[in-house]
Amino acid sequence: MPLEFFLVLAAALFCIGIYGLVTSRNAVRVLMSIELLLNAVNLNMIAFSNYLDRQAINGQVFSIFVITVAAAEAAVGLAIILSIYRNRDTVDMEQFNLLKW
Amino acid sequence: MDFTNLASQLNAGVILPESTVVITLLVVLVSDLLYGRASARWTPYFAIAGLLVAFGLLCLQWDQPNTLAFLGSFNADNLSIVFRSIIALSSAVTILMSVRYVDQAGSAIGEFMSILLSATVGGMFLSGAEELVMIFVSLETLSIASYLMTGYMKRDPRSNEAALKYLLIGASSSAIFLYGLSLLYGLSGGKTHLADIALALGNGTENTLALVIALVFVIAGVSFKIAAVPFHQWTPDVYEGSPTPVVAFLSVGSKAAGFALAIRLLTDAFPALIEQWHFIFTALAILSMILGNVVAIAQTSMKRMLAYSSIAQAGFVMIGMVVGTEAGYASMVFYLMIYLFMNLGAFACIILFALRTGTDQISDYAGLYHKDPFLTLALSICLLSLGGIPPLAGFFGKLYLFWAAWQAGAYGLVLLGLITSVVSIYYYIRVVKMMVVKEPQEMSEVIKNYPVISWQPFGMRPLQVGVFLTLISTSLAGILSNPLFTLVNHSVADVPMLQGHPLVARNAAEKARSPLAVVGFPINAQDKS
Amino acid sequence: MNLAEGVQFVSFIILAVLVIGAALGVVLFDKIVYSAFLLGGVFISIAGIYLLQNADFVAAAQILVYVGAINVLILFAIMLVNKKENYAPIPRRWIRKGSAAAVSIGLFVLLSIMLTRTHWSVDLSVASPALPIETIGEHLFSDYLLPFELASVLLLMALIGAVVLARREEIEGETTAIVGELPAPALELPERPREPVA
Repeated sequence: MPLEFFLVLAAALFCIGIYGLVTSRNAVRVLMSIELLLNAVNLNMIAFSNYLDRQAINGQVFSIFVITVAAAEAAVGLAIILSIYRNRDTVDMEQFNLLKW
Repeated sequence: MDFTNLASQLNAGVILPESTVVITLLVVLVSDLLYGRASARWTPYFAIAGLLVAFGLLCLQWDQPNTLAFLGSFNADNLSIVFRSIIALSSAVTILMSVRYVDQAGSAIGEFMSILLSATVGGMFLSGAEELVMIFVSLETLSIASYLMTGYMKRDPRSNEAALKYLLIGASSSAIFLYGLSLLYGLSGGKTHLADIALALGNGTENTLALVIALVFVIAGVSFKIAAVPFHQWTPDVYEGSPTPVVAFLSVGSKAAGFALAIRLLTDAFPALIEQWHFIFTALAILSMILGNVVAIAQTSMKRMLAYSSIAQAGFVMIGMVVGTEAGYASMVFYLMIYLFMNLGAFACIILFALRTGTDQISDYAGLYHKDPFLTLALSICLLSLGGIPPLAGFFGKLYLFWAAWQAGAYGLVLLGLITSVVSIYYYIRVVKMMVVKEPQEMSEVIKNYPVISWQPFGMRPLQVGVFLTLISTSLAGILSNPLFTLVNHSVADVPMLQGHPLVARNAAEKARSPLAVVGFPINAQDKS
Repeated sequence: MNLAEGVQFVSFIILAVLVIGAALGVVLFDKIVYSAFLLGGVFISIAGIYLLQNADFVAAAQILVYVGAINVLILFAIMLVNKKENYAPIPRRWIRKGSAAAVSIGLFVLLSIMLTRTHWSVDLSVASPALPIETIGEHLFSDYLLPFELASVLLLMALIGAVVLARREEIEGETTAIVGELPAPALELPERPREPVA
């Protein structure tokens, strides 16, 4: 099976994530879209590591670090969403406009 | 598996400064846990002492022969030492400023400082990271800590909003950056060290499209960190909504780390695409200088004005990067050093003003001279230095920068830089004029009710020290700029990648890393052969 | 794990369809809870794709961390902020959606052209390690030692920070404020808000 199959799948996932990032109104959904982006990167990493770097599998190690950081980022993101929800009573991205240029 | 051999290859001594900061972090955290608020009396000073020890250790490591550590993950060359010192010092000054600020907000300083210290560790490691995984993890340590500090005033909706925006934009930009890194990993056939990647990419004649896309994605991530237009949208909002000491750190420490990353990543891994990334950065520099300076004129809030001014300053610094000569890089690092003092000084002053009056509107500064001459003097000097008025430090910084660019033939950029500098002087002088020239009857309401100046309340002394230190450095660094400039020249001179001879540099890098091949792991032996 | 080529191909197609379908559901469904469960589906299908590529340890980590931790965390967050909310309609929102879709599709086309045109130096002659976990362990304790240690600082800081931000604060009265007679509002910026821009 050619490498490109996996890469194109990752690219599709990446673009879906970008779409979700731009259009979501719910802050939690924006966070989910970011997780999709990170998963697309991981797919790339694993595919490259399996096809180009079979012995050293640096890509697998890299994706483990990405997973670790993603967990930390998700926890921090949800903490921030909780604190903003307490103050503003909404998670609608369109309502967050106190700071405008 | 030879353990002693491995231990000697790790060369762990070079991360002693970072280890010091980590230990400081743990001590602050544990004492905060054990003694609660009582420990807030001494932990800030302990943290500053730790950072100064780290700075001292960095000075001791100057010019050491063996700079690569941890099997090539980390490079402690002189350039990284300069950047790590800038970050450690900016963090120390930030702590001086934040004691009173955090205390007045009714929050615990211990937790705030542990987050700030971990951001510092992340930034310091980022300055020397030579390998994709290391770059990613240290970048994320810095970023996640910054998101947390931004949202630290959690009862204030502005702080919440700033944190949410910063997190969402930051996390998506780092995901895009990461996609670029994964393409690099694939294009180089499974390499993660920057020098190996450059070697594997060759001269960039094949797979050009993929290389350019990887480059664009990587630059998007880097420009977010240094807040270059058009990746700057988060800056004014985050600067306005964050606690002001955090803004000071973001505008100096975090930005310096971003520039360190930009220099190392682009010159080490993309020598093949040097024209392309120079072109992109020229565009970013032009946009940042124009937009930053022009929009800053229209601002009414001091923090927002400094946000746009910091975007513009990043544009000036980028000039040094795109000319690509040794003098260009040296003047860029020099400008960042000067910028450390003057920008932190300006922030220390507006923190002091905000704590005494509870506002940061520019119009509220009217007539401050009559009530608080010292603060007026300090803020004026820092702002004038940011604008580049001789004989202050900022003038010499800009002088070297433009001179290096002129020598390299970037006349257009220099001209644009001069014009936008004049624009920037206008909005800095406006604030100074507001403070000094107004007659007593023109004072703003806030100034009429200005509290009696007292340095007695808890945490005011450190702030006073901070203002004094940055004020003295800003005034003196200009006159004493020669030794500093020799220093940065030296630091740039021994980084082979910055000499403009990619091939020589690559060979040197290979030679420097060759001892690593003997480590004896099958994976590594295979890797290097 | 070496399946026959055909079985591998079929399972890849099934998993890829699952990934794309579930990911589209995540961004398109109106109900956020559906999205959260479908996100779990995306994560599990991706773990399956990792298995196809001899990455069994990463597949396990993917299930444990992404499904077990992150997805559950997201579900909890949805439950905590689950006030029934009718988003005020915004005029001409479909234009933004449409342009976002166009940009995403354009990006996908660009990336696919790039990915298929590029010559990847595929090297299948070497056997992949029988136990990837051993190689990963060696990596983590040799050339990735420094990021590994730094990750511990990152996790510690994220832990503290998340607790600080998310806990409900019992504010001790702070009466040391310099401004006026009233104590400064706790945990707020001392600068007063700007007048909202008209």
